Amino acid sequence: MRRATKNMRRFAHRFWRGLREWCGDAAYERYLRSLAARECKSRKLTAEEFYVEQLDRRYSRPNRCC
Amino acid sequence: MRSFVFFATRHGLEAFDVMRIARILIWVVVAALGAGALGKIAFDRGESLNAMWFVIAALCCYLVAYRLYSAFLAARLLALDDTRATPAERNDDGRDFVPTNKWVLFGHHFAAIAGPGPLVGPTLAAQFGYLPGTLWLIAGAAFAGCVQDFIILFCSIRRDGKSIGQMAREEVSKRGGFIAQLAVLAIMVILLGVVALVVVNALKSSPWATFTLAMTIPIALLVGLYLRFVRPGRVLEASLMGVGLILFVVVAGQWVADSPSWARIFTLGGVPLAFAIIVYAFAASALPVWLLLAPRDYLSAFIKAGAIFALAAGILFVRPHVLMPPLTRFIDGSGPVFAGKIFPFCFITIACGAISGFHSLISSGTTPKMILRESHARFIGYGAMLLESFVGVMAMVAACAMTPGVYFAINSPQSIVGATPDAAAETISGWGFPLTAQTMAGLAHAVGEQTLWNRAGGAPSLAVGMAQIFSNTIGGERLLSIWYHFAIMFEALFILTVLDAGTRVGRFMVQELGGRVWKPFAQTGWMPGVLLSSAIIVGMWGYFLYQGVVDPLGGINSLWPLFGISNQLLAAVALVVATTILLKMGRTRWIWVTLLPMAWLVIITMTASYQKIFDANPRIGFLAYANALAAQIAAGKIPAAKLVDTQRLIFNQRLDAAVTAVLAVMVIVLIVEALVQWYAILSSRRSPALHESPYVQTQWAPGYSGVAQGDD
Repeated sequence: MRRATKNMRRFAHRFWRGLREWCGDAAYERYLRSLAARECKSRKLTAEEFYVEQLDRRYSRPNRCC
Repeated sequence: MRSFVFFATRHGLEAFDVMRIARILIWVVVAALGAGALGKIAFDRGESLNAMWFVIAALCCYLVAYRLYSAFLAARLLALDDTRATPAERNDDGRDFVPTNKWVLFGHHFAAIAGPGPLVGPTLAAQFGYLPGTLWLIAGAAFAGCVQDFIILFCSIRRDGKSIGQMAREEVSKRGGFIAQLAVLAIMVILLGVVALVVVNALKSSPWATFTLAMTIPIALLVGLYLRFVRPGRVLEASLMGVGLILFVVVAGQWVADSPSWARIFTLGGVPLAFAIIVYAFAASALPVWLLLAPRDYLSAFIKAGAIFALAAGILFVRPHVLMPPLTRFIDGSGPVFAGKIFPFCFITIACGAISGFHSLISSGTTPKMILRESHARFIGYGAMLLESFVGVMAMVAACAMTPGVYFAINSPQSIVGATPDAAAETISGWGFPLTAQTMAGLAHAVGEQTLWNRAGGAPSLAVGMAQIFSNTIGGERLLSIWYHFAIMFEALFILTVLDAGTRVGRFMVQELGGRVWKPFAQTGWMPGVLLSSAIIVGMWGYFLYQGVVDPLGGINSLWPLFGISNQLLAAVALVVATTILLKMGRTRWIWVTLLPMAWLVIITMTASYQKIFDANPRIGFLAYANALAAQIAAGKIPAAKLVDTQRLIFNQRLDAAVTAVLAVMVIVLIVEALVQWYAILSSRRSPALHESPYVQTQWAPGYSGVAQGDD
């Protein structure tokens, strides 16, 4: 029983994280992680700057289909 | 299972063998079940067929195709290599190149490829009966559509996420690359014109639907401002808020429709609606993305996912009976929804659910930059397309589950069935699909519309089908009108997303092409350039939209096949590129994998193009229609007041013929270019120069799934 609850909670946690990744909610956190992992010369963007810049790039190439 | 293993191991078999046998047995059962269900669909001639047979047949076929064919492609043809670092690992920048979990990327990829096409195409093709469309959806996806998506994704992964145009330039020829680029722009223009026409036909003289869709604009602006200034980037909470507001305006539309003064404001004819949509798309593509385009896309993605899930759940719960016959008399080419014989037009009409060239734009460029391991390409490339095909099968079920008479009443133009409800009901009953004018009036009232006659385009009939399924699950007759408008809003919302996102991308393409002539034009930040290129792209698809709205044959009749042809031609281009790359990789033995679908696409698109241009039947052939109208003018049968309109109609038909011809010729040129290449490679005159990125060993442990440390 306890194991089942634990599995359920783990599944819910993973689903929630997947959902946040899918819709772009976690994009800035991921950017920060990626930045920390690399030695990057460029300036760290704020959440707002990152959001706008990322959208501009995403909607400059085909990303929605028929 | 455990006791079976125990039993078998005691009788001299290794546990490993037993598991293997059990697994083979399971797959034999799945295959047999699929074959049985397909047989039931194909040969059952009883009263009516339960929709569950469609679901079982489709799912079993997909499972077998995925298990066997995609495994063969992954292992033998492409030899996916998980020790090779993907572009996401090598170039990780936290922006474009982002290593992404397999399931999340599947969701991204599916949300990008699934648009209105797999919903509208099967709905239109239902005029041939349920059988041809369903078989093409399943077989086309397994052997052509998924193969294209998967192989193009693989090729792009091996080339740092290059686009299909770049790959065509490098692997086929410079001219090939330019042709591919032009073809992409052309299909984009036609696609946008056609899907806009679907929206216009859905909103025409419907205050409820028009109000709901109009309200999504301020809601999207609100969400956009929240995401920019209040809590930047918190997409989930903002979208949920927006979705809640949208559901509210779906219900509120009823009050607008019930109030005479408000209803008058939102009751628009085809032409004003077309101009409203053109102005909207121009604004959305020229304004900053964060304000309108992106928030609308977020809302549409959530609603799309929710509605597709709800449709699947509804079909499983209601298990409706399919009332449409397996084949109708219209396979002879006299169909009222669109004219043309089952071959090639069934395969042209259902483009996206079976194979869609447009997917090659997503499979190259965006998804390959996020993939974690090469082996994920099988699940994401092949698997997501199977799911899209399943959406097409569900749309087919929803369209065929309504009374066939009602289906034809909604989708047939006045000029074919007759102008008055009684005359139209008589015509349709005469075809063998009994219908009364009262039935249609009652149905229109039940879904909260003034009329459902002559609403070609697929969206209203799909909405009626979906509403009937949903209302059988929740709410019954009482909620039919809410469900209908929810379905219309859902389709219109993501068609508008395709429109504004497509207009923006088209704008960049125009700027890039224009930049070759005059450099400053290519600067994406230069306002006059932005406005001019937006106006050019909107003007181009807007013209097709306008032409469709004023066409007495209903617009869909000439424009949807044009869209299907261009989409399938783009698929042929993608498969030419894929075949060339496979030949260069030395996979000559398996070349039929891409060569056969390519040959099939070339056959259907060339036949369809020829018929659309030269057929003697004015409803099929563009030129025949133009000549028939010109003959009417010459004979003095057209009143002076309609002379200008008729002349414009003649011009439009000739324009459509020219566009079809240009597209077909471009693809023939590309194929000739490729054939020269293939001959040179096969006859060993030229050593095949493959433009793959060099092999780099992955640094990730075998089980790495894209989860950051400490996050799990």
